[in-house]
Amino acid sequence: MSKRLLVGVFESEDDTLAAIRASRQRGFKVVDVYAPYAVHGVEEAMGLAPSRLPWVVFALGVLGGGLKVWFEFWTTAVDWPVNVGGKPFNSLPAFVPVTFEVMVLFAAVGAVLSFFFVCRLYPAKRAVLPVAGVTDNRFAVVLEETDSTFDPAEVGKMFEKLHAVQVDEQITGEVA
Amino acid sequence: MNGRDFTFEPNAKTVGQMQVLAGIGAATLVAGLFFAPQRIWPNLLLVSYYLLGLALAGMAWIAIQYVSGAHWSTALRRVPEAMAGVLPLAAIGILSVLILHPSLYSWTGGVHVEGDAPGFKLMWLSLPFFRIRAVVYLLGWLGFAWAMLRLSRQQDSDGELSHTRRSTALAALFLVFFGVTFWLASFDWIMSLEPEWYSTIFGFYNFAGAFLSGLATLALLLVWLQRHSALKTVIREQHVHDVGKLLFAFSTFWAYLWFSQYMLIWYANLPEETVYYVRRLHGFWQPLFVLNLFLNWVVPFFALLPRMNKQRAGILVRVSIVLLVGRWLDLYLMIMPPFSGGKPRIGIWEIGLVAGLVGVFGLGFFAALRRAPLVPVRDPYLAESLHYHA
Repeated sequence: MSKRLLVGVFESEDDTLAAIRASRQRGFKVVDVYAPYAVHGVEEAMGLAPSRLPWVVFALGVLGGGLKVWFEFWTTAVDWPVNVGGKPFNSLPAFVPVTFEVMVLFAAVGAVLSFFFVCRLYPAKRAVLPVAGVTDNRFAVVLEETDSTFDPAEVGKMFEKLHAVQVDEQITGEVA
Repeated sequence: MNGRDFTFEPNAKTVGQMQVLAGIGAATLVAGLFFAPQRIWPNLLLVSYYLLGLALAGMAWIAIQYVSGAHWSTALRRVPEAMAGVLPLAAIGILSVLILHPSLYSWTGGVHVEGDAPGFKLMWLSLPFFRIRAVVYLLGWLGFAWAMLRLSRQQDSDGELSHTRRSTALAALFLVFFGVTFWLASFDWIMSLEPEWYSTIFGFYNFAGAFLSGLATLALLLVWLQRHSALKTVIREQHVHDVGKLLFAFSTFWAYLWFSQYMLIWYANLPEETVYYVRRLHGFWQPLFVLNLFLNWVVPFFALLPRMNKQRAGILVRVSIVLLVGRWLDLYLMIMPPFSGGKPRIGIWEIGLVAGLVGVFGLGFFAALRRAPLVPVRDPYLAESLHYHA
């Protein structure tokens, strides 16, 4: 389904933050914000819900650690028991370092892959940018025109009052 | 902002409580010297070493912030500086044990000379050299603390950037000196209580414990000062959050070293090394041994795992208290087994001296904090710290 979007382009992060706040205050839906670098306070201004990534990472860490303990137990105590220095076959302390490493590996690699998955990123994906300048020196606030009460001209004026250098209307199925 | 807005005056009630606690400690110490000297000396070493760890953690914190060029914490710097201000009190405690009661160390009655380098061990564990080393460590730390606190306070009047540069250079020197001497000090004062046993990682493990207890103390003090002083307007949620992250990280760091020491000894299974753990894993020591890991790592780790919890003052306070109790238990397990006759004994002598520890730290901290404005008012990086946004 295509969406009608209104893109306000700004030159400074302060104007961008002000535009986000003003848009939300007036009940508009901020779909996304583009910036050439990480801007502090954007998440709060956009009112984004806390990321769910930590839960995914936690689950992956537990999964990786659990699998590793099971695998080490199975190899050293079940499938091919080897007597090492007279210690019990199932020697939990000896498993800890590798379990720790595998837990970190699962959690860290999983975090990156989950992030790519959620953002639908993959190698050689073409960048989807509302305006080309956002990788250089411009900031963009993207609003969705949700219903007929949304007056692009009026919102454009609001953006211009906040020092927008450009206001675009775009119809797309892909941005954001 | 000017200095007068940020003078610190602790309320009389809190000071009174600290005086009562310090008094209980002093009374316990005096009574203990008469009625239970064999209990009181190792406990005096424990609380002095605990206090020393807090003071040096304050110094290490300041030095790390300077060397890493961290500016987020500039506004809070007076708090670790005041923690470092209790260093002389800790030095008095340590020296009184080493000077008045060296027989706490069994090797003073004759060194056990087996092992790899008996000649070196004989030389290292001789009482005059032992005391000279202690004086060198303590004077070195006191000298660095004196110089760095002085520079920081001079900056309050002139706001010169050169003080920050000189502090950074001093901080780098201090970290090198501290790294070596604290390692050796933990060998001398704690590990040599059982001179037949050794662990190379012991100094590192002791640093982790000391720094962790310092961070827990810092978190408690920040929350307290946020409620009871002019720092209310200075400490932001982001500052507290960062201290929470450090608590979480260093608790795990402590566990990492705790396990590293345990696993290597368990794996090698050499009798002269395992004796340390055998002693601590039998009878009533065992539950304490397990509890130590829970207080210092399991509880803080899971309590601080969610991001939100690292920002909540209430949770940080509870976790910090758990960690500070854990630090005491950790030291108790390092120091007491050779003195306790087979089973742990925790009674009036231990509790009395812990009360004294809290009181002495509180009074020393307040005295040091009153000596300068609550924030480094003319530090060039103060503004950056005040507007800190993680």
